[in-house]
Amino acid sequence: MKRFGRMVRQRWQRWLQRRIPPSRKVTLDQRRIFIFPTGYGFLFLLIAALLFIGGINYENNLLLGFSFLLVGLFLIAILHTFRNLAGVTLVAGGMRPGFAGARGALEVRVQGGAHAHRSLWLRWPAAVAEEVSVEPGQQQSLWLSVRLSHRGRQDPGRLRVETRYPLGLLRSWSLVDLDHLCLAWPRPLPGGECPASGGENDAGQQHQRGGNEEFEGLRSYVAGDSLRLVDWKSYARGRGLNTKQFSDPAEGRLWLEWQRLPGLDPESRYSRLCFWVLELDRAAERYGLVLPDGSLEPDLGPLQRERALEMLALSGEGGG
Amino acid sequence: MARVYQVPRHAFPWLLAGALLASLPHLWRGPLWLAVAVPVLLGWRTLIQRGLLAMPGKLIRFPLLLAVVGATLYSHGTVLGPEAGVTLLVAAFALKMLEMFRLRDAYVAIILASFVLATTFLFSRDPLTTLYIGSALVVVMAALVGINDPESGVSPWRHLRQSGVMVLQALPLMLVFFVLVPRMPPLWNLQVNQQQAKTGMSDSMSPGEISRLSRQSGIAFRVEFDGEVPPPAQRYWRGLTYGWFDGRRWSQALPPEVRQQEYLHFANGPPPEWYEQLLAERGEPDWRYRVVMERTGQQWLYALSVPFSNRQEVGLARDLRLVRRTDIESTFDYQVDSYQMPVARQGLADWERRFYTSLPQQGGNPRARQMASEWRAGASGDAAYITRLLLWFNQEEFYYTLEPPLLGENTVDEFLFRTRRGFCEHYASSFAFMLRAAGIPARIVAGYQGGELNPLGNHLLVRQYDAHVWVEAWLQGQGWVEFDPTGAVAPTRIEQGLDAALAEYGESALTGLAGALRGVPLFARLSLLADYIEFGWAKWVLGYSQQNQLEFLSRWLGKVTPQRMVMALAAVGGVIMLAMLLWMLWRVRRPRLVWWQREHRRMTQMLSRRGVPLAPHLTTAQIVQIASQYFPAASQPLQDWQRCYDTIAYRKEITEPMVLRRQLRGLRRRVGRRLIRPMSLNPNPDQQREA
Repeated sequence: MKRFGRMVRQRWQRWLQRRIPPSRKVTLDQRRIFIFPTGYGFLFLLIAALLFIGGINYENNLLLGFSFLLVGLFLIAILHTFRNLAGVTLVAGGMRPGFAGARGALEVRVQGGAHAHRSLWLRWPAAVAEEVSVEPGQQQSLWLSVRLSHRGRQDPGRLRVETRYPLGLLRSWSLVDLDHLCLAWPRPLPGGECPASGGENDAGQQHQRGGNEEFEGLRSYVAGDSLRLVDWKSYARGRGLNTKQFSDPAEGRLWLEWQRLPGLDPESRYSRLCFWVLELDRAAERYGLVLPDGSLEPDLGPLQRERALEMLALSGEGGG
Repeated sequence: MARVYQVPRHAFPWLLAGALLASLPHLWRGPLWLAVAVPVLLGWRTLIQRGLLAMPGKLIRFPLLLAVVGATLYSHGTVLGPEAGVTLLVAAFALKMLEMFRLRDAYVAIILASFVLATTFLFSRDPLTTLYIGSALVVVMAALVGINDPESGVSPWRHLRQSGVMVLQALPLMLVFFVLVPRMPPLWNLQVNQQQAKTGMSDSMSPGEISRLSRQSGIAFRVEFDGEVPPPAQRYWRGLTYGWFDGRRWSQALPPEVRQQEYLHFANGPPPEWYEQLLAERGEPDWRYRVVMERTGQQWLYALSVPFSNRQEVGLARDLRLVRRTDIESTFDYQVDSYQMPVARQGLADWERRFYTSLPQQGGNPRARQMASEWRAGASGDAAYITRLLLWFNQEEFYYTLEPPLLGENTVDEFLFRTRRGFCEHYASSFAFMLRAAGIPARIVAGYQGGELNPLGNHLLVRQYDAHVWVEAWLQGQGWVEFDPTGAVAPTRIEQGLDAALAEYGESALTGLAGALRGVPLFARLSLLADYIEFGWAKWVLGYSQQNQLEFLSRWLGKVTPQRMVMALAAVGGVIMLAMLLWMLWRVRRPRLVWWQREHRRMTQMLSRRGVPLAPHLTTAQIVQIASQYFPAASQPLQDWQRCYDTIAYRKEITEPMVLRRQLRGLRRRVGRRLIRPMSLNPNPDQQREA
């Protein structure tokens, strides 16, 4: 029985894959929209059936007419519920990575067609749905959170777009694959010695920014530069944002190295490295990264942190 | 407990209004406690919505439910049956409003509201009620739309519009279903109106009963003639005959030896001899008409003599009246062909002669009996005796009145020789007595006489106050012949109706407002219109039955089979659905123009009509320039118009819109007046076409 269920599910997935192939931008039309009554829809039809029987039994044409009106409303609701979803365009938007075990978020942009689309519910499998309404020709952006189970790129599955508007008697939905992946950084694993070469020998301790760094000069601010290095005084004088440049002291450079974490399994190594990247970033320390499949030149600031985390996330193409 | 579901602010007004509208007709009709309880419960619900009270817990709701059941039992003696059931339903529905903890409860309450709304049709079926129910359904559905739109700050009117559009779109489908869905006979017999009084004639008559009916202006039936309408004096609508007299009361009865099958013939039974004779004798029908009857709760139908009906459930009795197989519990219509023919050849059976001349054995009314035997002995025949009797009624001091004095033991004697004031039942009763006392077979016929012709629909409207009784006597060689002693006393009753007849004696049948309004011409015209609408309603909506459906469908489908009906239903319904879908998907809503844009459009339309070739997307300046070339005379006002238009269209704020609007319109009209055809010096390519 279980096997049978799995077979059916696989078939269904394959069929969906053919019918609604993955795409960064999907416009919903009759080929992609499914529609079926909700429980309330069946209750509504039951009421109509009761009234029909009552009309027959009491020879009451108006009761019959009322029951026919309810059935007519139900049929019209099919059209309206379908139309509420038809013409919606879903576009894969931005991505907010997170740590494995926590949550990331993916942006879905919902574009309206020629008419308004009210009360659309979007959700990934096994996640909480978000509601959105789009006016004709407008666009709404929605960040949907994604549970990140492991390190690497993650496919949240098919996005379910559903609506019951206007009467709630029918549910029309579509399952679209927006080819949208969310990046999961390794889960930070605190502790251990700083797996760094270079710098002071006592690398595990907090570094004091000493006088051993030489101020080199200013260059104009680039997005991603550490805000601690911005020359606020010159900014206050109206000279614009500038970043202070220091020359690297030979011994102040830290290389976080994969090799320096023996005895740990690969995933733990990534996690440990991740912890230290965050630590060093917090301490505004300059650091580089050496992994088996690549390395990152030492630098500091949010951009550096981003790059390092991404490298850690993708090294060895995800953790599995 | 989990978080309590909160009905959206914009949906709640519709929920409340829908609940109120759904229960309102029942509050009117139902027990008093219901009319108090429902508004209180709905008020309570409103306070909960406002956050002033909490949703009541089980400890409050359960006793309330018990109280409601108890009150229903107290009012109706039962919780079963339509009357009590509806009372309980309405009360339980109002209670449900206090039990709204989840979205599901709101759904259930709203769907229940539509059910409560529909039950109103059990008790009232007129067009206005139907209109009310339809509008109330729009409100109930607006509540459903509202709870499906969780956005905040939405305008409630949007829900009403959405639901209104949907109900309007559902109407054509309803119509198709109404016409095409196969009608069935009742699955089991359940009558809603069991407690409701039977109306119209009853199966017996004692003095005073018909005059009571004559105070009612309710509708008995309407008749639509195919061809000529018979003159008033011939409008004797026979309903039933009374053959048994017990000294006071005439009643419908048969002697025990007569078998029902021989007396009453339905289409599926073996035709009795008398029926075959009637069939053989009848020629062309004199009147062909359709009667649409209101509910009576009785079996008998009204028709002109001798009636034949096409309907399966309508049978013909030996006393020449139509009878329905079951009681008439809802509007019923039947087609009748009436043949004015003597029914002499079927003869009078022995039991009939005995039965129709029988008088109470114990005697009574000695004076009348004596006069009858003396007069009969002195007359040359039955006919001569009857003529003398009618003449006597006509010439003696008899009064036609709705308020006759009470009669004692010997009703006939007292009436004929002492009070002499009576209504039709007095005249018919004493006349039939006098015939029987003279050995002439006679019976009383009860029905309606007359009817008001509505010129709008060319149909007759027969009301309860047209109720009438008259007499039929068996004359050798002629068969059953009608005699109306009331006509001998008050001919106006037969020619002009009850009101005119009573007026001659200074009385009026209808007292109070209805009576007073009858004299007002506007009211009379309005009531004719209302009657016309009601008749159409009764004929096409309330009376649409299995039989009508078969007749209607056989015209379109040829042979009516279940498969064909289903196919027709699917085809017509499908086409409507498809058309609506296409309309909904591809309808491009034209952007609404502001007033100056409309002015601009009017200007370009006017110029195009006059032959100025204007390509789309021209600027206002270009339009003016091109138009000036064609109509140099209009050049100045065109420029003025453009200046004015530009001022309006490109200024940020308009301080006096009405003034500018009038100005722009005035300039456009001035341009219009100057659009005189240019002289030949102007190169006008459209000149030939214009000429």
